[in-house]
Amino acid sequence: MAADRKLFLAAAALVVVAAWLPYWGFLMSAPQYPGESLMLNVSHRGISGDVQEVTTLQKFIGVRFPEHLPELRWIPPAMLGLAAMLAMAAFAGAGAVGRFFRWATVALFVALLLASAATVQQRLHAVGHDRDRHAPMSGLKDFTPRLIGPTKVGNFTVWSFPHVGGLALVVAIALAAWGAGRKARS
Amino acid sequence: MQFMKRHLFALVLVAVVATIAVTQMLGCGASGSARSRAAGDVYVPPGEHDKYYAFLSGGQSGSVFVVGIPSGRLIREIPVFEPRAAYGYAVHPNDPRRQQLEATGGAWGDTHHPAPSETNGVYDGKYLWINDLANGRLARVRLDVFETDRIIKIPNLQGAHGIAVVSPNTKYIGVNGEFEQPTNGMATNPAPYTSVVAFVDPESMQVKFQVRVNGNIDIADSSKDGKYFFSTVYNLEQGKDMGSMLQFDRDALAAIDIAAAEKAVAEGKAEIRNGVPVIDPETAPGVLTLIPVPKNPHGVNATPDGRYVIASGKLSPTVTIIDVNTLKIVAEPEVGLGPLHTTFDNRGNAYTSLFLDSQVVKWNIDKAVAGASDYIVDRINVHYNIGHLQAVGGETMQPQGDYLLALNKLSKDQYLPVGPDMPEAQELIDISGEKMRMLAAFPTPPEPHDAVFMAASLLKGKVKQVFDVEAHSVKEGKESVVRTAPDAVTVNMTMIRSAYTPETISVREGDRVTFRMTNVETIRDMTHGFALPDHGLNVSLPPGATKEITIDTPKPGVYWFYCTNFCSALHLEMRGRMIVQPTKGDVTIADWHAGQNVAGMQVPGVPSTARPATTQPGAAPSGR
Repeated sequence: MAADRKLFLAAAALVVVAAWLPYWGFLMSAPQYPGESLMLNVSHRGISGDVQEVTTLQKFIGVRFPEHLPELRWIPPAMLGLAAMLAMAAFAGAGAVGRFFRWATVALFVALLLASAATVQQRLHAVGHDRDRHAPMSGLKDFTPRLIGPTKVGNFTVWSFPHVGGLALVVAIALAAWGAGRKARS
Repeated sequence: MQFMKRHLFALVLVAVVATIAVTQMLGCGASGSARSRAAGDVYVPPGEHDKYYAFLSGGQSGSVFVVGIPSGRLIREIPVFEPRAAYGYAVHPNDPRRQQLEATGGAWGDTHHPAPSETNGVYDGKYLWINDLANGRLARVRLDVFETDRIIKIPNLQGAHGIAVVSPNTKYIGVNGEFEQPTNGMATNPAPYTSVVAFVDPESMQVKFQVRVNGNIDIADSSKDGKYFFSTVYNLEQGKDMGSMLQFDRDALAAIDIAAAEKAVAEGKAEIRNGVPVIDPETAPGVLTLIPVPKNPHGVNATPDGRYVIASGKLSPTVTIIDVNTLKIVAEPEVGLGPLHTTFDNRGNAYTSLFLDSQVVKWNIDKAVAGASDYIVDRINVHYNIGHLQAVGGETMQPQGDYLLALNKLSKDQYLPVGPDMPEAQELIDISGEKMRMLAAFPTPPEPHDAVFMAASLLKGKVKQVFDVEAHSVKEGKESVVRTAPDAVTVNMTMIRSAYTPETISVREGDRVTFRMTNVETIRDMTHGFALPDHGLNVSLPPGATKEITIDTPKPGVYWFYCTNFCSALHLEMRGRMIVQPTKGDVTIADWHAGQNVAGMQVPGVPSTARPATTQPGAAPSGR
């Protein structure tokens, strides 16, 4: 099997696996949690991890825990569709149509990922702004956690980062782009 | 020359004074260096942990103190035989733990000897037993949660003094009854009063059998192979007053052959008294051997290698060394005045506390047995009148030879004066070198008698910090107030930062109210309290814990229950009401502010934007 075909198939397989892994993660640390950061994982099933503790704490600053996340339900079918396209791209011909299909698949993949990132950022903005104005603690300004990296929220430092599923999708994009590039050169 | 002759006396005087001054200065320098070294040896920086846990019996405080070693920091008090409001322990008369105390002898105790469970001759970190001398009880503390687990009253026994686990695998906990009891029905016993050694099963806490011993049974230890249980016995005269207790010049070390005792019970040679088989050694030969030792001995300690057991002389300046296999005395060396207890390092040395000399004496066991004259290695002064002493691992088969704790009976001038009653004090001594070195001292409430050490590495992995959710736990969203009988209400309550659910409970005068409460926190150190004014109730619930308590016939009125353990920025606001409606007359206590919307309410002079009133989850369910 040609190397480029293997790259597309590997990307397809990675996408299928990634769809069932957590996409995004949040690690929260504060002085009174020594050596035991709180963790939230976002997967297609919703948010898991130290949900009880985070929901207990956030009431103090009026943050509403995002419980209703319909977009997560669409991720597995979208990813399966994308995986199917990647598999088809692996077997697309060497002609102009095949080349177009491969690059179009890569472009769609990138677009999907960027759209997801934008959705996460929008949710994070809502978390820090759509707050209960009558929360017990006063004086905490609105905030927007970074998509990737640390943000100081009250006594907590919140680290946001792509989880294993998210990282797998990035790798899958790289493999697909590599495969498309190799085919173009040949 | 003429000048020197004329002023010879003055010159000599100046020379002497100068020499003393220089010596003192050098001495002070050395002392300063030693102080710095000792301070460094016990300094544990904030945030770092001690190397050892030390479990100190609390004496008449009825508890166990847990101290970090080498820092001497008090980490925890484990209440055992006395109620402790601070931990919500056995405070209310209906608290099952209070009822356990009352049923077994009362709400105070006198704890003397902590005895940890052993596996293969070393501590396994599962349980710690502690005696109550005053009321003839034995308690078990779970070391995964540092809480008292079981308390039993031992039949046929008064003055539960020395206790020890039967090595190497904790087959029994032996408990010595110090105060003689009438032995009605013991036809073969010529003495009117007698005492027993009780053997308790470590898991079931049942007294399996007892062995009668005449005299006062004092301190205990077992042989390392578990064959014998040793007890010092004083007052073989069976005198009832001071003079008659001191007639004989020898008393005894009792050696109970455990297998022979078990066989006697199996063969039906024991008499059942108060449900316990009691073995009379006269009808079961081979169970009890009395080894003569100088009168009124005190401590007994088996050497870590299992070869010897050592009885301390107390009124005699000697220790008696007995071969464990032959039960024969092999040496009786002098060690100093008032020898009470002995502990060991890992280099063949014994350390004996000298109550009258206020010293710890270090001596070499092999040299003492061989009759060598240089068996005394070192002495160190302690402050003052030392009782027990304990080296790390000294009661196990693996002593560490690093630290020794001297538990002193008096502190006199060692601390700031605090009235006539001065604190009890411990001194930590470095025994890692040839010479002992005083490191530090720390006081405690009265009054620890004995201590054992456990390595931090042994317990850290075993200690639970959040209780598991159990079948009887109240779950979030499942809170309720249920009338279970015409005059009984059960409140199923949860608590989490920083609210009780339900927050309002309405009952009737004359109801029995059962609170079944679960702290649904899942993170460590988030304990909530539940204090109910005017009802003698304070319950402490560590994270995940469920506790149940019933209060009888609350009086009409409004009672604010509140959290006694600081928990969050809203700790003060963590409270709720129990409204007890009167049944006589036509008076009804109004549910204050219930259902009112306070939006728009303004307090004169305090302009505010009030939030709309919300319905609290689970608020105001009624048991009516």
